[in-house]
Order: sequence, then structure tokens, then C-alpha cells
Amino acid sequence: MKAQPGSRKYRFHYDLHFLSVQHQHMKKISLLIAAFLFVMGVFAGPGGKDRPDTENSILVSREIIDTGRFKTKPISEKQTGADSAYALVAGGSKGIGFAIAEALAKRGYNLILIARHLDSLKAAKNELEYLYGIHVEIIPCDLSREESATDIAHWCIERNIHLKMLCNVAGFGGSRDYLTLPLDSLRYMINLNVGSAMALTLTLLPLLEKNAPSYILNVGSMAGFAPIPVKNLYSATKSAVVFFSYSLSYQLKEKNISVSVLCPGPVFTKPEIKEDTQKKLGWFGMQMAVPPEKVGEVAVRETLNGKLVIVPGTLSKLTSIIIRILPRKWIVSIYGKAGDKK
Amino acid sequence: MKYALVSGGSKGIGFAIASALARRKFNLILVARNAEDLDDAKTKLENSHPVIVETLSLDLKDNEAAEKIGNWCSERNLPLSVLCNVTGIGGSADYLSNSLNESLYMYRLNMEPAISLTHHLLPILKKNQPAYILNVSSMAGFAPIFIKNIYSASKSAMIFFSYSLRYQLKADRISVSCLCPGPVFTRPAIEKETLAQLGKFGKWMAVSPAKIGETAINRTFKKKMLIIPGTLPSAVSILIRILPRHFVCWLYYKLSKKTG
Repeated sequence: MKAQPGSRKYRFHYDLHFLSVQHQHMKKISLLIAAFLFVMGVFAGPGGKDRPDTENSILVSREIIDTGRFKTKPISEKQTGADSAYALVAGGSKGIGFAIAEALAKRGYNLILIARHLDSLKAAKNELEYLYGIHVEIIPCDLSREESATDIAHWCIERNIHLKMLCNVAGFGGSRDYLTLPLDSLRYMINLNVGSAMALTLTLLPLLEKNAPSYILNVGSMAGFAPIPVKNLYSATKSAVVFFSYSLSYQLKEKNISVSVLCPGPVFTKPEIKEDTQKKLGWFGMQMAVPPEKVGEVAVRETLNGKLVIVPGTLSKLTSIIIRILPRKWIVSIYGKAGDKK
Repeated sequence: MKYALVSGGSKGIGFAIASALARRKFNLILVARNAEDLDDAKTKLENSHPVIVETLSLDLKDNEAAEKIGNWCSERNLPLSVLCNVTGIGGSADYLSNSLNESLYMYRLNMEPAISLTHHLLPILKKNQPAYILNVSSMAGFAPIFIKNIYSASKSAMIFFSYSLRYQLKADRISVSCLCPGPVFTRPAIEKETLAQLGKFGKWMAVSPAKIGETAINRTFKKKMLIIPGTLPSAVSILIRILPRHFVCWLYYKLSKKTG
């Protein structure tokens, strides 16, 4: 398993604890550099001359600095030295995808972000490049189309991108689907949630193989552990993602490519999700929720550790174990009753 | 007289299910791609049972196919009360050994026809209560079989879909069942592959197509959710579902290593 040393190398840059144990002097130096860059980031940032930021993304950046997340990010020289390694995040402009992209940026990965809307891609690019000093490429395209994966792979291979990690985050879901949504949306869901992951993985495999040890992170859901009647197809497609990841991890074992699947419980990336969870799962749902930043951080950390199934949050982890142990019939009727609440 | 629609009903498990329905005096609507196979099935069924067999030669991977079938049924005002979604493909070549198009085709053909047919035929089924929907999945849907990656994943999705649908349609008096057979030797190639991989055990596990069809229809009318024909496959499937998934995957892995 070459994954472990590889991962530690990348964790090196932000993990102060690790530094304190082994590199006494490095700690001081990197702290100094970090403090310097931090000050530069705060004062010089918004007024900087070559920052093509939109008003909006600067505001977002400031918010992040204010909440203190910035402190875990001392940019050392080594970090910018790791510039050749790239990670591709499909669906990386918003929500969990963006959180994963940010966690990767913290570790010095350059990024290729893919999403449908150019505006949100640009905002994400500006924010990540500004905060983490990495290089971000953006490709706007609709991943539910069959040609997309081939186009993206072509783009990457042409540029001989040093691709180390592929994150299949793009997905579509809602509070209700089968029997409520039109058939076209359901087809879109099927193609996007599973088809895009299968297609991107297959087309990018040659590149990942070349840069082994490399990593694939698929995003499933806790809904993929047991059927949720109101989210019928969402749950079915996520189960397919979980199955796909299990199988893939065995298929790619000998190629030194580690496969992980992220199965989070509720994550409030949009206000509607919070409302829906509050209504259906009540207090318990609110307790289970994990903020997107934490989901991204845990996902990337565990992926680099070579873990197959990743469930962020202690309560979510516990619940997911219970869901998998109890008979499916019970779970379906519990979920069903919760879903019937108006 | 009542009608039953069987998608993928011209051969294999679909034909077995159609025969079991004909034995219970259901008129049939068979949907499949190949018109010749459909005609064969029609003659065989009409000769041995006093039923009417209608055939529709359509490719269910086309988006409009399901809608056409729905319109066809509602135009004739057929009293349709059973829908069997059997269409699907598998095979020994799967993800990584298939091309991208083949992989996506397998995934879509195992999921979309059931979803769109159910969607378009639901209004008719609701009129003819009590109605029954039978989806065909596989034992591969209980735990990931890595050499049959996409097949296994799509069949798991089918099981999830059936569980959820059963709950959603409970109030409408439509019962949803899901058939999850172990190995069924509908083609010589499947027999050869199973025997190579599982040896004697594979032979014991195998159930004949006729028995699969009979058991499936019998238990569908008894409103059972999961239908696993055969005693040994039932026992094995319980084990697969109880044991941790990591362990089952590892077992499949070791098994495939052994046989190369």
C-alpha cells in the first residue's frame, strides 16, 4: 500500500501537529511564513493589483478568513512545489464538490473543476486561486451528456495533465422524485448520478494509471445504504454508486489506484435541504447534519488514507451502521413514514 | 379477461414468466426487440394455452418506446393488471473490458425501461386494481460482484427501486415484487461461465427457467416483496445480506482469483 506515505506527504503542509513531533525548526519557519502570508492575504488581498476577482468572490473570501478556517493553511514553499499534481472535481463549483476542491487546494493540489454554469465555476476558481495559491482550470459542461466524459479526457490527455485524483461529485437529487418528477428529469438523474461517474472513470483511467498511486473518490450518500421511498430514484442511483465503488476498488487494486466512496448523511448545502431535513427527520436530522467544509475535509483525508467507505460525522457513522444491519423492510417503513410528513 | 405485459418476454426468464401467466389465463402483451423471437413466443403460447398474445416489437432503450406502449394500451382500453419488467442485459464482459458505450448501454438498459414503463403504465394499472408489478433483478444486486461491476450496480438499483415503489404504491393497492434469482441457465454461455466460476456449487444453485417463472408469478400474486426461487439460493442470499459487505466482496474476489 503506497497510499499511506503519499498521503502523509500531502498532509505535511497543513498538519501542525505532525510538524511539532518531527520537525522542530521547520515548525517555526513555516509558522513565520504562514503568519506573513496570512497578513499579506488579509491586507494586500482585496487591494491587490492582479486579482481578477469579482466583487462577490472577494466577499466570500473575507468571510472565510473571518471564520478562522484560514489558520489551518500555512502556505509553505513545498506546497507550491507540488504544483504538478492535479485533481479533477466533477461538480466542483458548489456544495460538497467545492468543499472537496477546497480541501484538495489546502493540500497543494492544482484543480480542474467541471460544472454546468460558467459563473459559479469562475467564482470558485477565483476564490481557490486567491486563497491557496494553486492553479485552477475550469471546464463548463453538462456531465449528463454521453460525450462530455470523452471530451474532458481528451482535454486532459492532450495537456498531459499530471492527474492524481478524480472526484465524481456531480449529482442531482431533491426532496421527492419518482411519481413527482417528469421522466426527463429522472433520466437526467440516472445519467448524471451514475453514468457520469462510470464514464469519467473509464475515460480518465489511462491517465490515473500513469500517475499511480492515484485516487478516485465517488460521492454516494447514506441514501445508498437503504431505500428511501420518497427519494426513490435518488436512493437507487446512489446505491448503484456504492456498488460501483466497491467493485471498482477490487478491479483497480493491482493498478495501485485507491477507490473511495463518500456517503454523507444530511449536509446543508442549500436552505431547502435544511428545511426538508428539519421537517422529515426533526431533531435527530439536525444533530446528524455535518457542515459541507467538514465533509470535504474528511472525504479528502480519508481518500488519501485509502479508505473505501467514508461516512463523516460520528452520529452519521453510527446511524449508517445500524441502517446496514437492520432488515431492509424495517428501514423502508421507517423512512417511508418520515417521508410522509408534510 | 385480464391482461399482463411482459417486457423482454420473448426469451429466457421473460418467456418463462409469460408462460406462467398464460397458465393462469392471462392474455399477454409481449415487448421485445426481435420480431421473429416475438412471433415464435406468440405461436408457442397460443398453441398451448387458450389466451390472446399481442406482440410489440420495440427497442426499450429508445426514450419514446415506453410512451408508445402506454398509448397503445390506453387506446385499446386493455384491462392491464400485471406488469413484468424483465428487460435487461448482463454477460461476462463488464466494466473495464467493455467500451464506454457498451458499459453505459448496459447500465441504462437495466434501469430505464422499468422506470419509464412503470411511469407510463401506472394510470392503467391504477384503474385495474388489484394490480401487480414484478421487477426482475438478480442475486448480484445483494452485494457487489466486482467482475460484474455495472450489472451488479444496476441490479442493486433495481432492488432499491422496487422497495421504494412498493411503499409508494401501497395505498393504490398495487403490489410490487422483485425477483432476485441466482444462476439461471437460459443460454449455454451462462451455464459454462457459472460452472467455470462456481463449479459444483454453481450446478446446485442453478434453477431452471420454467421454475423461476412459475415461482415468480406464484409469489407475485401472494404479494411477496423479494422473490428468490430455490432453497439453496434463498439460503445463500440470506447469508449474503447478513454478512458484512466488505467480507462478501472479498469472498467474491478470492473466488475469482481461484478460477482465474
